[in-house]
Amino acid sequence: MKTNEFIEELKETLELEDVEINENTNLKDLEEYDSLSVLAIIAMIDENFGKKLSGQDFQSITTVKSLMELIGKDCFE
Amino acid sequence: MNYSKIKKIEYYLPGLILTNQELQKKFPEWNAEKIEKKTGIKERHIVEKDETALDLAFKAAEKVLKNYNKEKIDFLLFCTQSTEYYLPSGACILQDKLNLNTNIGAFDYNLGCSGFIYGIAMAKSFIKSGIANNVLLITSEAYTKYIHPKDKSNRTIFGDGAAATIIEKSDNEGIFEVSLGTDGSGYKNLIVPNGGLRNRYDINAKEIDDGSGSIRTNNNIYMNGPEIFNFTIDAVPKVVSNVLKKNKTKIEEIDYVIFHQANKYMIEYLRKKIKIPKEKFYINMLHTGNTVSATIPIALKDCFYNKIVKTGDKVLIVGFGVGYSWGATIIEI
Repeated sequence: MKTNEFIEELKETLELEDVEINENTNLKDLEEYDSLSVLAIIAMIDENFGKKLSGQDFQSITTVKSLMELIGKDCFE
Repeated sequence: MNYSKIKKIEYYLPGLILTNQELQKKFPEWNAEKIEKKTGIKERHIVEKDETALDLAFKAAEKVLKNYNKEKIDFLLFCTQSTEYYLPSGACILQDKLNLNTNIGAFDYNLGCSGFIYGIAMAKSFIKSGIANNVLLITSEAYTKYIHPKDKSNRTIFGDGAAATIIEKSDNEGIFEVSLGTDGSGYKNLIVPNGGLRNRYDINAKEIDDGSGSIRTNNNIYMNGPEIFNFTIDAVPKVVSNVLKKNKTKIEEIDYVIFHQANKYMIEYLRKKIKIPKEKFYINMLHTGNTVSATIPIALKDCFYNKIVKTGDKVLIVGFGVGYSWGATIIEI
C-alpha cells in the first residue's frame, strides 16, 4: 500500500473529518483517539494487511510512522 | 429420541440506569452521541449497592416460571461470575428461593460471554441422556460490581442483567450440533485479579492509569480491549465455519444470526469478515450494554417478541469472551 493511501485509510478509520494528518502526527495527541479507535485500527489492519498488533504494540505507538513500522515496512511502497 | 427445544425465555434488568449523558458528565472528554454511534449503547442497567446477580437471576426465573408448572423443572443451571459466596453454589440458594423441587440437580458454572451456549449444550446433553427433562438455565451477570468508578471504558461497555431459559424434552430437535472452544493462554486479558484465593482483596490496592483515561485497581475488572478483539477476529470466524460444517449446512440456509452483543463496532466487523448478510444479523445493545452471558437470550427474546424471528426459523448463536472461551450452535425457534 502507498503511504498516502494508508494515511487516507487511517483518516477514515479514525473518522477525522477536518483534521489533517501525516507520518509525523502523534496519534495519541488526536482528540478523536480513544480505546475504540484502537479497535478500529485493529480492524483496518486485519482487513488490509491480514496482520495483528498486540495490546502492547498499541501502548508503544506514537506517530503514524511508528504504526506503519509495527505493521511492517514491507507492507508499504 | 430425546430431543430438546428452548421453550421459553424471560429476562430481567435492574432498575438503575446509567445513560451516556451521565457518563459524559463524569468523563467530560467522552461525548454522549459519539459513545452511542461507536458502541451502539445508549444506556445500561446497573445493580444497586445491595443488589446482586443472584437477585437478578431470581427475578428473571420468577418471570419465566409464571404460568409454568414449576414441578416440571428437574434441573437448574446457574451461570455467573458475580457469585454471591465462595460457597455454597448460588444454584442451591435459587432452588430454595424459587420453591423448586428438592429432587433436582442444581449447580453453578463460571463462564462469561460464552455461558449461554455452554448452558444450552449441557441442557441438551442432560435431556438426551435422560438425566433431565425440563432444564431451567439462568445466565445472570453484574460486572458493574467489579468495575472501578473511574474506569471509563468498562463503565461504557458493560451493563447488568439476567435471563432465564427453559429447555424441554421435545419430539423434534430444536438444538442442533454444538461447537465449543477454549484457550486459557488469554486468561489475563479479561480478569478481576484480586479477590479470589490467589490474590486476596487488597484494601490498599493502588490505582492504575491505563493511559487512555481509565483508572482501576487490581481489585477491579481489567480488560485488554485490543487483545480481546484480536482473539475474536481469530476465533469467531473459525467457530462459525466449524458449527456450520458440523451441522452440514451453510450460512445461506440459516434464517438469522445472533452473536454475543459485545459492542457494535466489534460484532459489525466480525459480520463483515464472515460475510453474513446485514439483514440476517442482530445488533441491539442500545438499552442494555454488554450484559455478558445474558446478551444472547435477551436478544432471542427481543427478536421473537418483535417478530424478527418466528417459529420454525433456524438461528445461529455464537458466544465468545473471557477465558478465553467460546461456542456456537444452531437452534430452531
